[in-house]
Amino acid sequence: MKKHFIALLLLLSTGFILHGQTTDPLVSKCAMNAGPDSKYLKDFRIQLAKAPSAGELRYKTQMSLWKNTKYKFSMCTAEDSKGELILTIKNDANQVVLSSYDPKTGKAYKSVDLVCNRSGIYQLSYDFKDGQQGSGVGVVSMVK
Amino acid sequence: MKGRSFILLVFFVFVCFSCRNSSNNNSQFVFPEADSIPVGEEEKLSTEAIEEIARNISSPVEIANLLQSLAVPFSPDYLASSIDANKQTTSFDKAFTLGILGADLGYLNMYEKTGSSIDILSSIRKLAEGIRVGQFFDFETIKRLSLNKSNLDSLLFLSIDSYTQIDKYLRENDRGQLSALMIIGVWIEGQYLATQVMTEYPDPVLRDRIGEQKIILNDLIMLANPYCNRDPEFGILCRDLQDIKEKYREIRITYTLGEPVSREVDGALVVEQTETSVVEMTDEQLAAIIDITKTIRNKLIANN
Repeated sequence: MKKHFIALLLLLSTGFILHGQTTDPLVSKCAMNAGPDSKYLKDFRIQLAKAPSAGELRYKTQMSLWKNTKYKFSMCTAEDSKGELILTIKNDANQVVLSSYDPKTGKAYKSVDLVCNRSGIYQLSYDFKDGQQGSGVGVVSMVK
Repeated sequence: MKGRSFILLVFFVFVCFSCRNSSNNNSQFVFPEADSIPVGEEEKLSTEAIEEIARNISSPVEIANLLQSLAVPFSPDYLASSIDANKQTTSFDKAFTLGILGADLGYLNMYEKTGSSIDILSSIRKLAEGIRVGQFFDFETIKRLSLNKSNLDSLLFLSIDSYTQIDKYLRENDRGQLSALMIIGVWIEGQYLATQVMTEYPDPVLRDRIGEQKIILNDLIMLANPYCNRDPEFGILCRDLQDIKEKYREIRITYTLGEPVSREVDGALVVEQTETSVVEMTDEQLAAIIDITKTIRNKLIANN
C-alpha cells in the first residue's frame, strides 16, 4: 500500500514537472543581455559533444533575414563548456557573410551585428571553438 | 544512343533536383516547383524541415519593427478584434486563430500598447488550452508584464518563447497540422498588417518587404501541403495559399554582387552587406497582393 502511495506521489510530481514548462535561464539571460536597443527574435539551443576533429561547424540551421534590418547575433556559452560558442553565416549562394571567430587571431566575438541588405534564407552554423564539447545558446535580435 | 539518352536523363534529373531553390547571385528568384510536395501526398516533412520552415517565416515583430522605423502610427483597426475565442470549436479554428492573435500580440507589444493586449492574451490562453498547449503560455507573467509596462524586453521574449514552445510541442507530438496552421495564421496576419499599412502609408521599403515574401511563400505552402486532403477546411486554406502564390509568380527578385564589409566598433564586430536584393513589382501586382491578402484574411477570420 505504502509502495503504491509513493509511486502515485512520484507520478503526480512528474506530471507537475512536465506540466510547468520553464524557459532555460541561459536563454532568457542571453536574450535580455543583447542590449537596450535590441528586440529578441529567436534563439537556437546548442549542445555538442567533442568533435573527432575540428572542421566545419556542426550545428546547422536556417533563418530568413530581411533587407533594411540590422540584426544582432549573440552567443552565450554555458559555464561547463570546454569551448566558446562561435557562429558563421552563409547566404543562399553558400558565400560566407560573417563569422564570429577569426582562426588567424583566435579571437571570438560574443556578438556580431549584421546590417542586412539582401533578403533571403541564410544558413547559420554554430559550434564550439576547436570542435570542443559544450552547450550554449545563440540569440538573434533586431537592433533599432 | 541509349547511353546518350541516359546521360541526358541523369543531367536533367540533376538540374531539377540539385538545388532547394534557384536563388543565387545575378539570378532571379523563382518558385522551386521541382521539389514542392504535391498536394495531397501523404509524405510528411521531417520535424527538422518543419522547424526550419517555421524559422523562415517573417516574424510579425519584424514587420511591426519595420512599421515603427517608418514612423507609421499604431492603429487598432488592423487587429482581428472581431475574433471570439469562445466560438472557435474545431482544432483547426483554434490553431489558426492562435496564429492570427499571436501576430496581433507582437504588433501590440512592439508599439507598447500592452494595456490593450489583455483581451487578446485571454483569448490566446483559451485557444491554447483548447488544443491542450496552455501549459506553455505563461499567461499570468505575460499579463503582469503587460499591465506594468515595465519590461518590454521580457514581455517580447516571453511572448515569442511561449509560441516557439507551443509550436515545438505540437510538432514533436504528431500534431504538425496544428503547428502548420498556427504558423500560417501568423504569416497571414503579418502580411495583412503590412499590406493594409501600405495602402495608407505607401513606402518603398515596405513595398519591397511585401514583394520579398515571395522568398518564403513556397516554404509556407510546403508546410501546408501534407494536410491539404485532411479535411475540407485545410483544402480551402491550401487553395487560398496557391491563389496568393499566383499573385507573386511574376514578381522578380534579383541580386547584385558585393563582398561584406567588417569593422570593429567599441570591441564589437559589425558586418555590413554590400550585396543587395532588388524587388521588381508593378503597382498592379502590388494591388493584387493587397487585395487577395485582405480577402483571404477576412474570409478566414469571419469563418472563425
